[in-house]
Amino acid sequence: MIDESVYSGGVFSDTIDGGRSGAEIELSPRGVSARTPDGDRFDIPYRECQVEIGGFSGRMVFCRNPDRSLTIFCEDRKFRTALAQASAGLLDEQLGENVRRRRRESRRGRRIVVAVLLGTVLLLVGAYYGIRAVARAAVHAVPVSVDGKIGSAVFESMDLGGPEVDDPVVVGAMQSIVDRLAPHAAIDGMEFDVHVIDSPMVNAFALPGGTIVVFTGLIERADDAEQVAGVLGHEMAHATLRHGLKRISQSLGVAAAVQLLLGDAGGLAAAGAELFQLATVNSYSREQENEADEEGVRMLHEAGIDPLAIARLFETLRQQHGELPGAVSWLSTHPQHEERIAAVRDHVASLPPREYRLLEIDWAEVQRRVKQD
Amino acid sequence: MEAEIRNKPSFANVHVKLGPGERITAEADAMASMNSTINMQTKWSGGVARGILRRLFGGESMFVNVFSTDSGGDLVLTQPFPGDIECIELKGNTLYLQPGAFLACESGVKLGLGWAGIRMLIAREGLFRLKVSGTGRVWFGAYGGIFEREIDDEYVVDSGHLVAYEPSIRVRIGMAGGILSSFFSGEGLVTKVTGPGRIYMQSRSFGGLAAWLNAHLY
Repeated sequence: MIDESVYSGGVFSDTIDGGRSGAEIELSPRGVSARTPDGDRFDIPYRECQVEIGGFSGRMVFCRNPDRSLTIFCEDRKFRTALAQASAGLLDEQLGENVRRRRRESRRGRRIVVAVLLGTVLLLVGAYYGIRAVARAAVHAVPVSVDGKIGSAVFESMDLGGPEVDDPVVVGAMQSIVDRLAPHAAIDGMEFDVHVIDSPMVNAFALPGGTIVVFTGLIERADDAEQVAGVLGHEMAHATLRHGLKRISQSLGVAAAVQLLLGDAGGLAAAGAELFQLATVNSYSREQENEADEEGVRMLHEAGIDPLAIARLFETLRQQHGELPGAVSWLSTHPQHEERIAAVRDHVASLPPREYRLLEIDWAEVQRRVKQD
Repeated sequence: MEAEIRNKPSFANVHVKLGPGERITAEADAMASMNSTINMQTKWSGGVARGILRRLFGGESMFVNVFSTDSGGDLVLTQPFPGDIECIELKGNTLYLQPGAFLACESGVKLGLGWAGIRMLIAREGLFRLKVSGTGRVWFGAYGGIFEREIDDEYVVDSGHLVAYEPSIRVRIGMAGGILSSFFSGEGLVTKVTGPGRIYMQSRSFGGLAAWLNAHLY
């Protein structure tokens, strides 16, 4: 059966002005014919027809005459089958070979696309982690005095949420805990400076360089001085391990590298890097928390303070607040405390046995004075 | 309608003489000057959705301006970057234009947006390209000079230099040489085109300009 339908396609021929034209393609019993809008007609008999399949879509069928001066082409999905039928098997072999070659090449093309995409992703991820590692290493080359400068600049610009407590008994008690831990710090030359802030927040934090802030809420809730020492040890560890500076240098490093590598290549890539950074910040921070836990326990142990006090503090806070860690700032910024208590207990168990001395602080008096303020 | 491309090739612009009742469609902001007898009507380029797609992915604006006149007049159309402008006449055939290349067309020409595919994105040629079809003249511009070539066998074009190609042209991505020479030659990925058909190329690339500027910024 001969297909009588008309397909839309085109013609390349030197006899047309400009060499090309759109055309209506018909399949007659003898050959392929094309009629241009200007009324020109072109014919290629099936027996002379050289068939190729290609074009941008990969499904354009080209019928070419032997000296390739005339090409009739059509992209219609039904055209290939219709051509095979109309030519009564004369073009089957050429069509089949073209289809097979096309499939082979598109498979290879897909593989290249996948490889390029994969390579790009690997390169970006590799560069990201590489830069982070370099940035982290670079922190060790920065003198400790820089930490102090950053810390005091941050401290001055911070809204601490309450007035500073200057009661010598309270501040002295905190300072005495810090002083007992300080000789066992991981780096020399860091001066720890304690500030007590009158605020119900159950929280404490350390800034780069050793500025430590304790909120009265923590002092009120803690059962004894050792529990506060546990928190302070952990926070001091953040300062001595220079976590703040590492974070800053990593963000800066990644931002600078993105700028340098991609330059103008655009907001999109930069935004992507930023998102990736955000997504990884949590695990990174958790890694630092674990490091600080371990280092804090080590310092407490060497200073002769019972490191398990911090586990007891967690228990106390949980009893006071039930299952609502959001109400307690220190817990909410320090998630997964179940896991961490377990890790702390494991770590303490692995330490050589040691006699722990109680801190010489009248805790009841400190708490009374805090409440009085 | 008479149209002449002037100041070729560096600062080409199209000088159009519109007769009464004639009209020309141009990319938004392409008009540099015109007689006051010419009316300008702004239209969504092929409808709202297509206009937005064209803006987002086709590197063209959401709108096109249609210029017409009752009494006749001149207008000058130009492109925002230095370079040549080429005119082709469509006779029922189709041409794909790279993002940003389209300048103007006669009223018998249809403007469409086509998905170019991931391979074109990797070749840094954009995910979409403009499809012009129908009957009439089309003007498109390029950065630098424009040169055309009839392709039959495989031909290699560096990324960013392809401006327009016919649907009969097959485009593949490839490496300019081996892995190392592709990397160090600065050619990287190239587009390999196979005919039959015609391609139009530009003698400069925006990527090349951006990289050159970037290297001289600091």
